[in-house]
Amino acid sequence: MSPRADGRRHTPADFYHERTNFDFTGRSWRWAILSGTVILIALVAMFTRGLNLGIDFEGGTSWQVPVSGKSASVSDVRDVIRPLGLGDAKVLVLEGDSGRSVRVQSKDINPAAEDKVTDALAQYGGVERTEVSVDTVGPTFGDQVRNNAIKALVVFFLVVAAYLAIRFEWKMAGAAIVAVVHDIIVTVGVYALTGFEVTPATVVAFLTILGFSLYDTVVVFDKVKENEATIGTVRGDSYSKMVNRSMNQVLMRSLSTSFVAVLPVASLLFVGAGLFGALALRDFALALFVGLITGAYSSIFVATPLLAWWKEREPRNQALRERSAAQLARTEASVEAPAGEPVPAQEPEPEAEPAPAAASVPAARPQPRPTSPRPTGGPSPSTRAPRPRQQRRRKRR
Amino acid sequence: MRKYWAYLIGSVAVVVIALAATVIVGNEPVLGLDLQGGISVRLFPAGRFSDSSLDTAKDIIDRRVNGLGVSDAEVTREGDNIVINLPGVKDRDKARRLVGRTAELRFRPVLAELPPTTASTPPADDATKAAIASCDSTAIGALPSIPSSDAAADKADACVVLPGRKQEKREVRYLLGPAALTGRETSGAKSQFLQGQGYGVDLSLKDSGRQKFNQLAQESFPKQPPQNSVAIVLDGVVQSAPRFNEPNFPGDVTISGSFTQGEADDLASVLKYGALPVRFDEKQQTVQSVSPTLGSDQLTSGVAAGIVGLSLVALYMLLFYRLLGVVVILGIGLSAVVTYVLVAYLSTSGFNLTLTLAGVTGLIVSVGVTVDSYVVYFERLKDEVRTGKTVRSSVDRGFNRAFRTILAADLVSLIGAGVLYVLASGSVKGFAFFLGLSTVLDLAVAYFFMHPLVVILSRRRALVRVPVVGIASGLDAKEATA
Repeated sequence: MSPRADGRRHTPADFYHERTNFDFTGRSWRWAILSGTVILIALVAMFTRGLNLGIDFEGGTSWQVPVSGKSASVSDVRDVIRPLGLGDAKVLVLEGDSGRSVRVQSKDINPAAEDKVTDALAQYGGVERTEVSVDTVGPTFGDQVRNNAIKALVVFFLVVAAYLAIRFEWKMAGAAIVAVVHDIIVTVGVYALTGFEVTPATVVAFLTILGFSLYDTVVVFDKVKENEATIGTVRGDSYSKMVNRSMNQVLMRSLSTSFVAVLPVASLLFVGAGLFGALALRDFALALFVGLITGAYSSIFVATPLLAWWKEREPRNQALRERSAAQLARTEASVEAPAGEPVPAQEPEPEAEPAPAAASVPAARPQPRPTSPRPTGGPSPSTRAPRPRQQRRRKRR
Repeated sequence: MRKYWAYLIGSVAVVVIALAATVIVGNEPVLGLDLQGGISVRLFPAGRFSDSSLDTAKDIIDRRVNGLGVSDAEVTREGDNIVINLPGVKDRDKARRLVGRTAELRFRPVLAELPPTTASTPPADDATKAAIASCDSTAIGALPSIPSSDAAADKADACVVLPGRKQEKREVRYLLGPAALTGRETSGAKSQFLQGQGYGVDLSLKDSGRQKFNQLAQESFPKQPPQNSVAIVLDGVVQSAPRFNEPNFPGDVTISGSFTQGEADDLASVLKYGALPVRFDEKQQTVQSVSPTLGSDQLTSGVAAGIVGLSLVALYMLLFYRLLGVVVILGIGLSAVVTYVLVAYLSTSGFNLTLTLAGVTGLIVSVGVTVDSYVVYFERLKDEVRTGKTVRSSVDRGFNRAFRTILAADLVSLIGAGVLYVLASGSVKGFAFFLGLSTVLDLAVAYFFMHPLVVILSRRRALVRVPVVGIASGLDAKEATA
């Protein structure tokens, strides 16, 4: 955690008043390592353990048994088959002209276990074993649905990337898509690790995450785009610092939007599935829960640093950074320069947007100016002047 | 100012009227197979069939019963049988019709073209139905108005009145004679580019089909238009009504016309797949009612958990934005009512929407996600207020900026929903439908409800300046202490 501009630690009030001064871009390698590790674990889990795909995807076995002389109930049948390892089978009680029957559908199990289920169901129905019809059952979410979904997703990414490239710029589009892919990999990885069953509802939850993650990233990038006009109005500015500034400005709303989205999902997961035992909720609430949290994380710690890193490689931003570094070194060298000296709004920088454009942006609120000339998260240590001793002591406190 | 009152009152009035209409008409959300049960139909194939043709038949039936992707009907293969579970359906005949409806493509002679029905056309009574079915032209001519035939009256051996496919704004209905042949007597169709005539469809017929088709051609060809046409009917809609250009077709039949490539492809797929590639034995077919797979306690706990979650959201909003938190709560309420009305409408109307447990809770979650827009707006107001403006002077400018952000973010969702809806099928398509719906709703509520209400509240000095709970306090503005 980096300290506030004035050297104190952040307090919760700073979050509320949006006075934070975290360094998001300066230490991006930390986040890169964290995300990279998580993604690696997710991918390894996906390829070694695989996903526990439900019967809707892979098909399985179906038993149908007539029930004579008693009323059949779903929960009774469940009690019968649960000890045989069919806890998450689909159970239907059917009623027609030819009487009552029970249908059980489950993923493929080994033949011995299949026979046991057949026996148990025959006993439950009070009929001979031969009256139980056993069939293979095909997937409802079959190849065609899956292929269509994959095709649709690819087009989805292309079209969304095109839109973001037009609305913002293509590097932002790229960073946003990378963040979304990050979220999907992490979420799918969690399913591979926990072995929770993937149902069509889970797939829908994955898609919800796509939308949410993009929403969050767009809110951040909208601010960055707006603040691009203010590049250079702050002493020692660079693209990364501008991104950092934007990120701090939207941090609270980013946290708030994620929090309010996570609340109902957490409630489904912990109150619904945990307390009331609604297990059907668990499978997709987990996807939403993990996805929303990684979505919030990725818009702050993946999309934004990636964008800053990418943009810093542009020649004009490189030039700006070098000039800023030189400027900072100059001010630090001249002892008589009073700390917190106001910087003229218009630096002679041809690349920077002209000041009137900056003034027309209403939300470019005055930045809390550093009380000491210490750069906040300067990118290159070589150009950074040594900190005043007093400053260092404060930090240690 | 007047504008904002108009928006606010207008939006609330629309919602109240819609809710009242829903209650009066008796629209109600229909619950899915897991919560309410439904009907299960098992089809047994007859005659010769292959594994792949059964798969194709399954896919076609799936597409038909899941049109919008929201009905959540399950279509699976069990061995050689196809099992269709239809949620929310109680009436077995209706179930039989829903599945049976998918079976047959019919070729009918066109007897007359009729104007589209208007709002004043009364629904068919029994006498009218009988007159139409009898094919008696004088009896039909004597009718004061001619309503379209419903699904029950659409029998192969009766005359029917059916609408054409809606295209080019031209809406035509046709009076059609008994079916001359059905899709079972066709053997294939493909769209192709015809030199000098644009796109067309090449239809191949089986021997028995060719005989019947040529008989129809010979009878119809000399007649006056529109009686020299044949209507290709599927699911109670005339897909196309081409004119006979010859009295005799020794080989394949070519349907030409001013088709685009897409139209030609559509027609070819109707001709090819409209009739299922497998014949099913109607005597063996079983129709059974299905019990719910989940107990009603699961729904109760899902809804309870959702309400707990939304209450926490409301609490968070109140703590954070004080009086403005009330705007959020009212907005959530409004969105919830609109969602209910739409779901009820889609359930009761022809879209056959049903809500599974995942669907119900998904809707609750989506309401939580729409709170994002309020947060974006209020945080933007904070920005404005921090530059030293009064709350009152900040709201318009703040909204304009915030709405741009919301629009940018919502457009991403909307584009995504559009792409997924068009390209995906099954539950993914259903998801896209709801995503699009909730996004549009989000934008509408932000524009017509959230902002007007905030403007109106912010004009009341007392509401702005009340200590602790006032708007200014919620926006972290200095005015609070003034």
